[in-house]
Amino acid sequence: MSMDLLAYVPLLLRATGTTLWLSWLAVLIGVVGGTLLALLRISRWRTLRILALLYTEFFRSIPILIVMFFSYFGMPLLLGVDLSPFAAATIALALHASSTMSEVVRAGIQSVGRGQWEAAQSSGMGYIQVMRHIIGPQAIRVVLPPSVGILITTVKESSLASVIGYIELTRTGLLIRESTDGGFAPLLALAFLYFLINYAISLGGGALERRFHIGRRSDLVGAMA
Amino acid sequence: MDYTFTLRTIYPYLGELRHAAALTLGLSVLAILLSLIIGAAIPVLRRSKSRILRVLGSVYVEFMRNTPLLVILYVVYFAGPSIGVRLSSFNAALIALSLNSAGYMAEILRAGLIAVPAGQFEAAQSQGMNALQVFRHVVFPQVFRTIYAPLGNQFVAVILASSLASVVAVDEVASWMETVGSTSFRFFETFVVAAVVYLVLCQSVNLARLAIGRALFRQGAVAR
Amino acid sequence: MTPVLRLNSMTKRFGARTILDGISMSVVPGEIVCFIGPSGTGKSTLLRCVNGLEGIQGGEIIFEGQRVEAHARSIAAVRKRVGMIFQHFNLYPHLTALQNVMLAPVVVHKEPKAVVEERARALFEKVRLSHRIDAYPSQLSGGEQQRVAIARALAANPHLLMFDEPTSALDPETVGDVLAVMRDLAQEGRTMLVVTHEIRFAADVGTRMVFVDKGQIVEDADPREMLANPKTDRARQFLNSIHA
Repeated sequence: MSMDLLAYVPLLLRATGTTLWLSWLAVLIGVVGGTLLALLRISRWRTLRILALLYTEFFRSIPILIVMFFSYFGMPLLLGVDLSPFAAATIALALHASSTMSEVVRAGIQSVGRGQWEAAQSSGMGYIQVMRHIIGPQAIRVVLPPSVGILITTVKESSLASVIGYIELTRTGLLIRESTDGGFAPLLALAFLYFLINYAISLGGGALERRFHIGRRSDLVGAMA
Repeated sequence: MDYTFTLRTIYPYLGELRHAAALTLGLSVLAILLSLIIGAAIPVLRRSKSRILRVLGSVYVEFMRNTPLLVILYVVYFAGPSIGVRLSSFNAALIALSLNSAGYMAEILRAGLIAVPAGQFEAAQSQGMNALQVFRHVVFPQVFRTIYAPLGNQFVAVILASSLASVVAVDEVASWMETVGSTSFRFFETFVVAAVVYLVLCQSVNLARLAIGRALFRQGAVAR
Repeated sequence: MTPVLRLNSMTKRFGARTILDGISMSVVPGEIVCFIGPSGTGKSTLLRCVNGLEGIQGGEIIFEGQRVEAHARSIAAVRKRVGMIFQHFNLYPHLTALQNVMLAPVVVHKEPKAVVEERARALFEKVRLSHRIDAYPSQLSGGEQQRVAIARALAANPHLLMFDEPTSALDPETVGDVLAVMRDLAQEGRTMLVVTHEIRFAADVGTRMVFVDKGQIVEDADPREMLANPKTDRARQFLNSIHA
């Protein structure tokens, strides 16, 4: 049985790449979206603050699976255009990642002491300049560790793309299982692969943190999916 | 394309929704309780004198935190027939959910125990309390205060994770959304309704946790 | 008089390091023994060995005629009669001051709650904190917490009181309040072991001063004697360094 499995290794590797690509893309969009949301959350205009808060609270209180269902089945009805499983999954994952990310970025920005703002503004810098040269670089150091956690969570959530038909790692594992007479090994290999991927990501994150002399990662960020 | 949001179209399906919501809640409550029990065993393992048991405890937590719940669900679901046991979908989902959540419970409990200063144990022991008395009167009350909020958050996480049970044909809320949506083609309406159900469930748990917390812990604010 | 406490060549090691090296001494009822010396020389460890928080590797500890074995079940009996006051108070944060004081007599000594409560209230009078019995430790100042800790130790009617640097963690203003309580206890004739840096207190209240250095008893004499006329070089150096 294990001989058969070895033949599938290239397939699994390719599927791993697909999963990583999907997750990476979603997180990238999530970072951009999350940062924008965070800025809205701390903006001067109450309406924007409330809107951003509602967005975040909404996506934190619903399962990503139904967002994926809606993204794949519902959006085409609304927009009149068909979405591929890949696109639908990316949208759903990005929406979720951006809501978690916005909280992280907000905490990061707020972690930079008031004195920094005051010093920068006293020297004549405008809002964007202060953000870009003073607050941003300092906030990034606080934001990086939890972001690694968000990437790991997104990799785990990407497995749900298999439910809407995207051929990523989980779907590949299931297909292999079907073609090898429904054994147990493919599933365990699947679990192990995810474990390796995420473990490698956290090790990589740790190395990055050490390189930039960042403190301990907050272990409290992490959805169960 | 023309699409008007009409909630009326899914009124006929609301009866099933009530059943689905009950399943979601039931599955979540059972999973939380089970995962607390399983998760409580992990710190015990990690303090064991046997190196194998200690490693086992750590590996369990790391495994559950890094593996997708969906994969764990498939493993449990297909494991049954492999060893000749007939596992209902609900039970398979319950087991997978509990095993996964237990990993997070273990971390919550660990943080709670660490938060109790060594001096507390020493003071209690100095007064002649035995291990059980130390635990009951000094350690447990303090651990409980620390883990209370994270426990509430974990409950919410389990409610959301229970949506995966739909993948193995448990007719809870996520499954309701998919089924009713495909029959009626009213995905937007079903999405909104399902989202509202989850929102209500999660926010209720949060509010209840805060309210009960204020009543239990008179001496100060409980962290979110 | 039969000694309350007898240490015979007590030795305590942490791994390769010897913390206490053949300590021998006895304490009779009513003595106020003050342990002084440089930090980290084992004074606190000495107290912790007496009530079994630490085990010893050599020699023996005899409390009221009974051998103290840290890891045996007999240690419970010792702990019921020895009260300990810690440098960092170690009050139970989830209980009020009154509940802190009442816990052990009710749970360990199995005394009826009403009796214990009456005794507790009297103790709060004694430490001058009757107005704070329903406060939680987080609402009390350091000095108040330490006085509650003293009341807590007294509630069990101990035959021996041990103070491990009771004022080291306090603001200078509150140190006096705690020392005043300890002074009262000394005048009542209690047997007390006190590890402290408050040399003046030791001289005023102590009946005996023991200078400990590098895990050994270097000098053991009347406090005023030792201050005026230390007999060993090490004691003299230490006392000079403090007064300077």
